[in-house]
Amino acid sequence: MGLRDDLERYREVGEQRRQDLSEFIQYGDLGQSLPDEVKIPIKIVDLPAFEYDQLDKGGVGQGDGGTPQPGDPVGQPQPQPGDGDEDGDPGEEGGEHEYYEMDPEEFAQELDEELGLDLEPKGKKVVEETEGDYTDITRTGPASTLDFERLFKQGLKRKLAMEFDENYIEEALRVEGWGPDEVYAWAREQNIPVSHAWIVDADSNLPDEERERWSSVEEMTEKVERESTVQRIRRKGLKQVPFRREDERYRYPEIVEEKEKNVVVVNIRDVSGSMREKKRELVERVFTPLDWYLTGKYDNAEFVYIAHDADAWQVERDEFFGIRSGGGTRISSAYELAAELLEEYPWSEWNRYVFAAGDSENSSNDTEERVIPLMEQIPANLHAYVETQPSGNAINATHAEEVERHFDGTNDTAVAYVTGPEDVVDAIYTILSTEANDE
Amino acid sequence: MSDTDTERRRKQRIAEGLEEPVREANALARKLGLDPFPVTYWIIDYDEMNELIAYGGFQERYPHWRWGMSYDRQQKQNQFLGGKAFEIVNNDNPSHAFLQESNALADQKAVITHVEAHADFFKNNQWFGLFADDPNAAAMLANHADTIESYMDDPEVDREAVEEWIDHVLCLEDCIDQHRPFSTIDGDQPHRELEDIADRLDSLGLSEEVRRQVFDEEWLESQRPEEESGSFPAEPDPDVLSFLRRHGMAYDEESGRAVEYEDWQRETLELLRREAYYFAPQKMTKVMNEGWAAYWESMMMGEEGFAEADEFIHYADHQAQVLNSPGFNPYKLGKELWEYIENATNRREVAETLLRVEGVTWRNFHDRVDLDEVRAALEPDAMLDRLGAATLDELDPDDPRVDAEALESARAGDVDVDRYPWKVLSYEGLCERHYSLVKPQHRGFLKRLTQSDLERIARYMFDDARYASVEEALANVDRCAGWNRMREIRESHNDVTFLDEFLSQEFVEQNHYFTYEFTHTTRDYRATSTAVEDVKKKLMLQFTNFGKPTVVVEDANYNNRNELLLSHQYNGVMLDQRQARQVLERVFELWGRPVNLKTIVKQLDDHDVEVARRRDREPVPEEVGVLVRYDGDSISSEELPWEAVEHLAATDVDYDTKPDEWLA
Repeated sequence: MGLRDDLERYREVGEQRRQDLSEFIQYGDLGQSLPDEVKIPIKIVDLPAFEYDQLDKGGVGQGDGGTPQPGDPVGQPQPQPGDGDEDGDPGEEGGEHEYYEMDPEEFAQELDEELGLDLEPKGKKVVEETEGDYTDITRTGPASTLDFERLFKQGLKRKLAMEFDENYIEEALRVEGWGPDEVYAWAREQNIPVSHAWIVDADSNLPDEERERWSSVEEMTEKVERESTVQRIRRKGLKQVPFRREDERYRYPEIVEEKEKNVVVVNIRDVSGSMREKKRELVERVFTPLDWYLTGKYDNAEFVYIAHDADAWQVERDEFFGIRSGGGTRISSAYELAAELLEEYPWSEWNRYVFAAGDSENSSNDTEERVIPLMEQIPANLHAYVETQPSGNAINATHAEEVERHFDGTNDTAVAYVTGPEDVVDAIYTILSTEANDE
Repeated sequence: MSDTDTERRRKQRIAEGLEEPVREANALARKLGLDPFPVTYWIIDYDEMNELIAYGGFQERYPHWRWGMSYDRQQKQNQFLGGKAFEIVNNDNPSHAFLQESNALADQKAVITHVEAHADFFKNNQWFGLFADDPNAAAMLANHADTIESYMDDPEVDREAVEEWIDHVLCLEDCIDQHRPFSTIDGDQPHRELEDIADRLDSLGLSEEVRRQVFDEEWLESQRPEEESGSFPAEPDPDVLSFLRRHGMAYDEESGRAVEYEDWQRETLELLRREAYYFAPQKMTKVMNEGWAAYWESMMMGEEGFAEADEFIHYADHQAQVLNSPGFNPYKLGKELWEYIENATNRREVAETLLRVEGVTWRNFHDRVDLDEVRAALEPDAMLDRLGAATLDELDPDDPRVDAEALESARAGDVDVDRYPWKVLSYEGLCERHYSLVKPQHRGFLKRLTQSDLERIARYMFDDARYASVEEALANVDRCAGWNRMREIRESHNDVTFLDEFLSQEFVEQNHYFTYEFTHTTRDYRATSTAVEDVKKKLMLQFTNFGKPTVVVEDANYNNRNELLLSHQYNGVMLDQRQARQVLERVFELWGRPVNLKTIVKQLDDHDVEVARRRDREPVPEEVGVLVRYDGDSISSEELPWEAVEHLAATDVDYDTKPDEWLA
């Protein structure tokens, strides 16, 4: 045991006690995180105690060179020195936060576990042809890639095919009345691979007194046992394997098509006058984790941010959640722009997600006449609309319902309703599980 | 701490260099009137220092993640601040103090002087006596560590379960009765009272027969407190830990029932409770104790030249860093208050003496006495400033300000008077040499003496014509009054009584203290008052009961169902509701049955806040009684009629310091 052990335990405990992911998404401070680094607060001091309510408690301060007068702002109370050292009470300072950092991959994995999601990203665009295993072969190549095993096998086969029992053929020449022509014809019949020239040569070396040893070929085959090639190789050994150039093969790597898992996410937000602070915050709470999730899931994620009122325009991420404008609302303007911008990301090469959010208010007939057809025309893994209405429904706010009614039952369109932070996780689940069901 | 030989030799060398400062600091402290426990100093390296800090100043603690947490924080802090000099000293007899080998000599000296003052405080403050007169904390804590480690190693016991149990108990570590001496709760005797009665019967020397007939087992049993009567405990018990130790049960997940504590659970609870009592005095005297150490450190280091000239800048720099951190600093408050007490006592002594001059009364005081002249007359004898080997001849061994024995050795050349001039002076001599009212930083203090101060002092005075002249009176001013009083105060006070008694409007103004509150109008913190009553109230809130709300055991048979009822003794500041609920969930684990908490909350409805804001006023919240209940599964909360919580509401103090005219 000892302090190292305590430190290790603290790290474990700290990890366990970081803010629960759902709680973090719904109520946590998302602003500390970066697009590629999710920071989830860990409460350092996590053993609770009976304490005074911080706001109700007030306190004592000391002015530096003068005393502030009643009514003067005094800033945030500072943690006090000595609040926790040397008196064996390190847990006294309240409310301090440290951050548990996770990258988007970990975030996506955790969210999968927490929500029971199962989204398998599809590989699309061919980014490179890499060399796989050396499984293909050619007839030429560098010596180092020569497939010697194959060469040897071929040579062996060739040898087996060419070898014959020389003694056996010679015995056939000793059959009464047979000359090379008869033996050759007979050997052919017996499928013995012997040339006519070899028989003539053997015949010329045959002593005359042996030419009538056998009265007939039947007698010869009966008395003389024919030795198989294998037996002979075993007896005499494999003296030479005939390697031939035509048997040479060179190994060559297989070409593998690597498909990158590309994703482009279009975030559309209604910034018109009716989108007040609370609604804006809800949009951020839904979109930001979706962005992290998809960043974590795909090899390469690109984001397009579109703000719209009656018109749409493209914005940078840092402005996206803050913009407010005056005008009316025409949601189709955003989809028109999205269609145009998505041309850079061909459907054959890119996974596409088109997320829109707003309070469901739209100019009359725009949803039915323009938005829905556009949504159908823009191929995407998923279209989603997130309605943020903190105070229930406004009368004319029917965009979400219309979209939902039209696409009901299809699995590439999701509609989610968020009235407060407590709905955020459900909304994220609705959106992400819609595509997951597709699998 | 296992060291290699080289390390040990290095530390040895450093230790040798520090022998003289250690010896002389102790001698100086004693000369100044302090009476410290003997201190054993240890030289340790940077890592060891970090470990000690993480362990709350001790070498061995039970295994727990929170030490790891503070170690982690310590390391991160050091990255930013650079390892600075720390002083660690344990309340033990002898005290143990630790010096980091890499510190500069000036830092070591500062730490040593600081430590001597702490050791004096440990020995003489009565609150430290509550735990034990001769504590051996290091051994106790190491012992606890061994015990808990053995539970964790026990194959029958789940390590995680032990750790969790510790967590549960630690949530209540401040729920003890820190104003009473610590006493151990013995093994398996939940009813001490019963033992006592039996003991007392024994001591009466009754015959066995009388005992058997009159005071039989049945009678004895009937003396057992009535647990069923609905009023158990009879009085609300502030020592929640002790109550749980005696009557708590564990919740058994499998059977879904409350079961007796396992031995390890009972023992762990008891030893954590013991540690809470051990650390309580330190928490209760943080302002006083740290202020005391800072005061004497600066007296010895700065004014008595314990830091040599070339070290002084380094020291001053360090001192400034410790005391001048922004905002409210309890150490600084302590040091300032000690200085204020010293000055105020000395001023009072001067005033009393002068009021004894014939013809001087509180009414004509300012006409008859010129306080600037008084101040000039109180300057220490110039001879005391010029002390050195060269001026030894000027000293008179019969002068009470002179240490005759030391003077003799000094004249024989055995004392380095140039280096340690204080050696030839007595306590009285040092009082005069460091007399506070004439110091430049306290210029003006004497002159703030008002007529109403004088009237108050004069009211209890007899014998008011002792001296014929102001000069004669001034010659009789006791310059030791300040230090004498300070030592008295350090014996009997704790932070709460210290602040309550000595904080004054003059002090608050001179040191720029003020109170602040969160205001709903502006949604931020605003200064609310500079009046001493308000500052005192807020400080009381911060230091009473470790700065925590008081929660007591009110009923252990709540609703006649053996449920536990805790009560929050509401003083006008409400509980942090979220944490209170979390604690309640943990109390359940220690009680084994449903637990309840009665409290009072302040409710503000959004509409009222909005209306008040428009009128630029602070909304006035409504106080409502609430019962929070945790049954092992879920938290529920219900509003209570006011009668049910009325007894919990304090009526005497209003901790809210917002000006009345702000309220809606």
